[in-house]
Amino acid sequence: MPNAPHSAANVGSDAGGFRVLGGGDGNLRIAAWGYWPAEVISAFLASATSAAQSLAPAGVFVFDTKDLKPQGAEGQEALRVLFRALARLPFAKGLIIRGNAMTCMQLTRLLRECEVDRRIEFADTQAFGS
Amino acid sequence: MGSVEDDVTKVIYKFYDALEDLLRSRGTASMVEIWHHTEYATTSHPFGSWARGWTEVKVNWDEGAAVFDSYDGHANRSDRIGGIYDLKVVVLGDAAYGTGIYRSKLYMSDRELNLSLNCTNILHRIDGVWKIVHHHADQAQPDWQEAIGRMVGAGHS
Repeated sequence: MPNAPHSAANVGSDAGGFRVLGGGDGNLRIAAWGYWPAEVISAFLASATSAAQSLAPAGVFVFDTKDLKPQGAEGQEALRVLFRALARLPFAKGLIIRGNAMTCMQLTRLLRECEVDRRIEFADTQAFGS
Repeated sequence: MGSVEDDVTKVIYKFYDALEDLLRSRGTASMVEIWHHTEYATTSHPFGSWARGWTEVKVNWDEGAAVFDSYDGHANRSDRIGGIYDLKVVVLGDAAYGTGIYRSKLYMSDRELNLSLNCTNILHRIDGVWKIVHHHADQAQPDWQEAIGRMVGAGHS
């Protein structure tokens, strides 16, 4: 059911995890934090990329990374899978809420590698109002 | 045979040689070698937050190398990008620390980018071998961080 609402349950632990909020209204918000262990990476690959399909052409994608640490090779590959999926989808606006500057640089690099950097911009937490 | 302080000083200078390798796209092998790969390893860089435990520490150095893969300002230059100055070392049994000032100069396409930061390195002697277990550099000034971010976004310096 690609257009069904996705659950807002946390996946992982305080040390590393994510939460997907999206679905019915055509928008998608993902919050991610910490350093991801293997089981979180597997879960992210399964749920985040399928949730991306719920983005409507007029929808907004928000990736809240203010508490996300730089990821290792496997975590980076999971993020690439999401960004490549987004590169193929129509959506109105993409925002990454930035935190750790090193993470911001890693995400900047991954967005560029996945050729979606012109469609997703960075925003400060304060600017986003959350 | 030098003093224990000399041994510690050499390791700290080797750490900054490893950093130079990383910044000049010569890989992270020397940086990996200079650390004890322990759960209590910690590092903080001129940009970014704390990395705690060797896994996160290694990822931070790997990402630092990825950031500077976009830098080509020293491609045809022989001068060092940076180094440690005013280094003072204290040894306390099997632990030691060094304080100093890291200064660097990057040649960007539009200007030179200078950095001068207080740094602390803590070393632990395990089985007779001194290696780094903690590195802390002050945060760089915002315009320096923004310039590096633009370099990463553009994919070149």
